[in-house]
This record gives sequence, structure tokens and C-alpha cells, in this order.
Amino acid sequence: MSKRLLGLIIVLAVAWGGLAAVISAGLTPRLGLDLQGGTSVVLTTAEETDPELLQVATEIMTRRIEDFGAVQEPDIAISGDDTVVVQLPGVEDEERAIEAVGQTGLLSFRPVLESFTTEEAPEITEEDDIAMDAHLLNSQEGFPDQVLHVGPAALEGSDVAEALPIFDTTSGVWAVSLDLTSEGGTAFAQLTAEAASYPPGDPRRQIAIVLDGEVMSAPSVNPDVSPTTGITGGSALITVGADSEAQQEAQDLALTLRYGSLPVAFEVSAVQKVSATLGTDSLQSGIIAGLLGLGLVAIVLTVFYRSLGLVAIVGLTVFGSLLIALFGLLGEFQGLTLTLAGVTGIIVSVGITADSYIVYYERIKEKVREGLSIEEAADEGFTLAFRTILTADTVSLLAAILLWFLAVGAVKGFAIALGLATILDIFVARTYTRRAVRLMAPGRLGAGGWFSIKGAAR
Amino acid sequence: MSWLGRINRGETTVDFVGLRKRWFTISVVALLISVAGLGLFNLNLGIEFVGGLGIQTPNPAGADIGAVRTALEEVGISDATVQFLDEGAALRVTTRELDEATERAAIDAIADVTGADQDETSIEAVGPTFGALIARRALVALAVFLGAVVVFISWRLEFKMAAAGLVALFHDLVITVGVYAMTGFQVTPATVVAILVVLGYSLYDTVVVFDKVEELVEIEDEKTYSEIVNQSMNSVLARSLATSLTSLLPVGSILFIGALLLGAPTLRDFALALFVGIAVGTYSSIFLASPILAAWKEKEPDWIERAEWVARRSRSGRR
Repeated sequence: MSKRLLGLIIVLAVAWGGLAAVISAGLTPRLGLDLQGGTSVVLTTAEETDPELLQVATEIMTRRIEDFGAVQEPDIAISGDDTVVVQLPGVEDEERAIEAVGQTGLLSFRPVLESFTTEEAPEITEEDDIAMDAHLLNSQEGFPDQVLHVGPAALEGSDVAEALPIFDTTSGVWAVSLDLTSEGGTAFAQLTAEAASYPPGDPRRQIAIVLDGEVMSAPSVNPDVSPTTGITGGSALITVGADSEAQQEAQDLALTLRYGSLPVAFEVSAVQKVSATLGTDSLQSGIIAGLLGLGLVAIVLTVFYRSLGLVAIVGLTVFGSLLIALFGLLGEFQGLTLTLAGVTGIIVSVGITADSYIVYYERIKEKVREGLSIEEAADEGFTLAFRTILTADTVSLLAAILLWFLAVGAVKGFAIALGLATILDIFVARTYTRRAVRLMAPGRLGAGGWFSIKGAAR
Repeated sequence: MSWLGRINRGETTVDFVGLRKRWFTISVVALLISVAGLGLFNLNLGIEFVGGLGIQTPNPAGADIGAVRTALEEVGISDATVQFLDEGAALRVTTRELDEATERAAIDAIADVTGADQDETSIEAVGPTFGALIARRALVALAVFLGAVVVFISWRLEFKMAAAGLVALFHDLVITVGVYAMTGFQVTPATVVAILVVLGYSLYDTVVVFDKVEELVEIEDEKTYSEIVNQSMNSVLARSLATSLTSLLPVGSILFIGALLLGAPTLRDFALALFVGIAVGTYSSIFLASPILAAWKEKEPDWIERAEWVARRSRSGRR
């Protein structure tokens, strides 16, 4: 058996076998709210809450779900004037998800007990839970080499009255001004007094600002703060820095201090199972129509490219199998959900992927007309076509990567689908298409009659 | 069939660049119609964007979802979402804002099929689920992406190609959105995603076409830029025809068969964007982006010189 044939068989086995394995393991793609339903959580807050605060709360919830479950598409809507209805597609750990959405968020100010570099830090275990008095906290980006061991919370989010980013025009330094409630002010004075009793440079002079188990910032108490009184008056200034990123950092920190916790407290007033928002007939219609469309694509490819069309059709099934298998895996392990738009998107992407074949086949035709042999045309055509495919696919990949990092919700789901489809497109072109065409080239499907590569080029 | 054969063999000799006034006129008219459409008819934004009405009711009669939907359609509400709560013990209906009479009729209709006491029915305004945050983040992502694309195309091909590609992109975007305004099809989050697909496709297609131009620019040293662009377009015509067919067939099938014949209205709301966008995206790569590029490049000193040289040679050749 030639090496080429062996390679081809491996690719086909991986694609079709992979799909069969994923399906028989029960890892079918996870369906979204619109197709399968999920859980509806009704969160109620005090009556006559400021609508703007409710708005802010839903935005924070959206972000939290994002952090919690990778890519699922929840529905979060304000209902009436004191209720937020959150609908989650079938999530694995439902209780935790509900908690993550509704909890007010634990912003706290804590004394720092010890500081480790990342290498020497003891491993952070599950038991180092936010409710414990002393635990290790991973530091956020920006404190790359630090893991802090912090003490019990001295102040909480509700003790913060206001936090604003400010710019000192004389020193050119960004800072966050912090105003505390009177109760918070007393606790803050105590906390800072204790920190001030350590010599400058000691990690214990730091105050850790912790949000949901992560250190957001750990400013040191200034050398001129008296260890007997601490910072009094219920207000403080957290200096951020003077570099180009300081403005953003100051704004983010101020936001965290203000909104890191939900601005209003919610009570979970109902948790119910909800059915799909769309009828099953929608999915069926979509799939039937899509497959019909793909059938027409197959016909067009065969009429245009004859035996090469057959290569493309098999290639599209390789692409489709791998894509569905990956969605199954991502649904299981990343919580990725497929909505109706996603399902039909996959069908559409198969049609668009046909372009990689078309670009290649047009090159083959061109080279055959220039007088090259079928084999030479298959090789040279591929080199030229692959360059085009890579360039064009890079544009799609750019879109996928940027949308993945920057967008939320449905748009993020799209980014994954686009990214996967593009990578698979390149993969299939590289591992399958050229091999299959080269294997076919010497035979009757290469230089034979109407239904051959030569026939297509005529 | 002979013209098809010529396209297939890349032997057509359409003067894409020379006829650019004609293509530009077509595009400008299409753009004007779209903008006018946007001005005259508002986009029909789905409740995901603008919010609506949430009606929750017990369901003692055990009505199924189809029955509730039919009852709502009878009072003129065709785009409501009907969900079972707790396996059918209660129902939630979400719909757009209704005027008082329709709201009354809807509640009566729902009470009729569910057998619920109207006192137990709650009606509340529902806010948008596709909120400001998602929209803002999507726009930021899009802006960053367009910036990155300009850098990438400038590096891989050239800056003027990136700029021409962006013109085509906005052209496709405006026309697609304009079609939504004029048809009154609902804009849902799925539509937004479909429009992103269209943006991606538009750029992708332009890059494939320009890659061919770049290739010929490197080989041909006795032709003007316009001639090179014309030659490239004629040779990619077969590819564009085949690709737009294979891309449009599944979309068209979902739009016409799935949505219109099999009656799944949610499908049409985004299939339309894909269909229009892909068709316009293919057109604009060849008939808009390429002539713009040619006209622009012809103004460069090197290419002016080349054009003069070609003109001189053809005059002396004729003599």
C-alpha cells in the first residue's frame, strides 16, 4: 500500500471514526435554550430599586456566567421593576451556576499575612475557600509573581460608599479615591493601623482587595501612616501609577470597588425547568432544508468538477464529521451550547468550505490547460491554491480569535464555530484533499473521459 | 451555454475596470435605496433587543405549546415565544409590546386554552436580553478586528487592497441591513451573528480575488494595472460563480424551503442576512473592490509610467 493511500485512510478513519466514537459515547452537541430549554431562575430584589442599578446588575451577571461556564448563551432580562429572570441552558452544575449569578459577590479588604512568589507558593487547594478566615489567593494579572496569604475579611463591598479614578495633575499619577461608610471607615482605620506597624517593604504592610477569591489589588500602606491610628476619616487614596496603563488600571479598580459586587441584593424566588423557546419542528426544518441544500452543492460540484467533485464531497463529510465531533466534545467539556443559529451555521459553513476545493480545482484546470500532466497539475495547483487558502483563512481566524477574546454571549459562540471551521478547513486541505487528488490522478478518473480531471479542464 | 464554457475556461474578456462607472452606479443606487429604506422603515428589532411583555400563567388544562401558539396567532401575535415551566404546570409567554386591545385579547386567548384563572396570570414588562453590554463588546471586537485585518492585508498583499476591501465590506453591510429594514424581517441575535458571517465572508472573498491580482502583478510586466485586474477577474470568474453557488445553495435552501415552505419563521430571520450578504459580498469583490483598486493604483507614478509605455507601444505596433 502506498504511503499516500495509508495517509488517506488514516484521515478518513480519524474523521468518521471520531464522529462515531463521540456520538456513541453520548457526547452529542449540547443544545441551547432555544432548542432544548434549561433552567429559569427568578431573582427578586427590593421594590423601587433604581432601574439603572438593575441594569448594572444584569451586566455583571452576564460577565459572571461568562467566567463560570465558558460559552453558553444565557438569557438575562429585567422583568418588571424588581426582578431579573435568568435562563440558563442545561448546565452541568446547576446549583453552582445559580449561586454564581445571584450571589451579591464577595468583595473584601483583608490583611496580608505572607507573600510568596509563584514558584515557592504552596498549592492552592479547594479547601482554601473564600469563607475561611485565612487562605491563599491567586493574584490576578498584574501581580505575576505573587501569591498572597491573607487573613479574614475586615471590610466588605457594602462598606464602600464610592470609588472613583482620579488623576493628579501635579504629580502625573493615577489613583483611585476610596470613600467608605462610617462603619467601614472605623474598620479600615484598624486594618491600616495594624498594617502600618510593620516596617516599609514588609508584605504585611499591604492590604489585599479580594473579589470572589482573587486579589484584584494589594496596595501598601504609606510610610507616613501612624501605626496607632491608621488611615482615619473614612477615605483613602490608592495610588496606581504613572505609566500608560495606569489610567485603565485605575478605572478598572474603581469599577471593581464600586460594582464588583452586585449593586443590589437579590433573592432567588423561583427556580424552574423551562422548555425550549422554539418548537422541535424548527430544528427539523432547518436540518432538512440544510441537508437538501448540501445535496444541491454536491450536484453542482460534480457537474463542475466531475471526479474532483467526488473528492470534494467526501472531503466535506470529513470536515462535517470532525466539526460535529468537536462540538460534541466542547459541549461536554466547555459547556459550549448550540443554538438553532449555530446548527444551521454549521451547515452553511460546509457550503462555504467548498471554496477551498474550488480554488484548488480552478488551479488544476489552469495548469492542465497550460499543458502540465494531471499529476504535475495536482501538485503545482495545490501549492498555489494553498497559499490563497491560507491568506483568506487567516482573515477568518483573526476574526474568530478577536471575537472570542473580546465579545460575549451569542457572538462568542459564533467565534468558536468560525475558528473551528477555519482550522478544520486548513487541516482537511493539507491532509486529505491533495492526497486524494494525487491518488486519483494517474487512473481513469484523472486523464480519462468526461468524468475525469481532464474532462473538467476541457 | 458557450458563455458558461468561456467562464469555465477563464476566457471571458469582460472589461471590469473600464465599465466601472456602470458598476459604481449600480452600487450607489443600491446603497441609496438601502439608506432610504433604513430612514423610511425602522428595523424590526426583536424583543431580545428592545424588550417586550412577559406573561406567566398556570396551566391547569394542560394545554400544549402548539395550542397556545395557535391561540395567539388567532389574535394576531405570530412571533411570541411560548415556554413550559415545570414540565407544563405553568406557561411563560414572551412577546413584543402590545397595544391594550391586543394585550387583552392575548390574555383572554391564553386563559381560554390553559383554563387558568386570570387572577393568577402575571404580566410584566421584560427588558432586553441582548443588552448594551453584549452590543458594546461586539462593536469593540469588530473595530479591533477591522484594524487587524487592515494590518494583515497590508502586510500580506498591500494597503490599497485592504482599503478597497473595507469599502466593499461597508457596502455589503449597508445593503444587508437595508434589506432588513425594507422587508421588515425581524432582527434577532441570530441575525447579528449572520451579519458577522457576512462581514467575514465579504473580506474572505475579496482576499481570494486580490490574491490573484497580486500574483499576476508579480508576473506581468507588460500590462497596465487595469489590464492585470481585468485579466485576474476574468480568470477568477469561474471560481466566484462556483463558490457563490455552493455557499448560497444551503443558505437559500434554509431560507426558502426551511423558513417559507416548512414554516420555521425563526430560520428566515437570519437566513435572509446570509443570503443577501453572501450574494452581495461576491458581487462587491469583483465589481466594486477591484475597480476601486485599479482606479487607485493607476494614479501611482510607476503605474502611470507603465500605462504610458503600453500606450506608446500599442501605437507604434499599429504603425
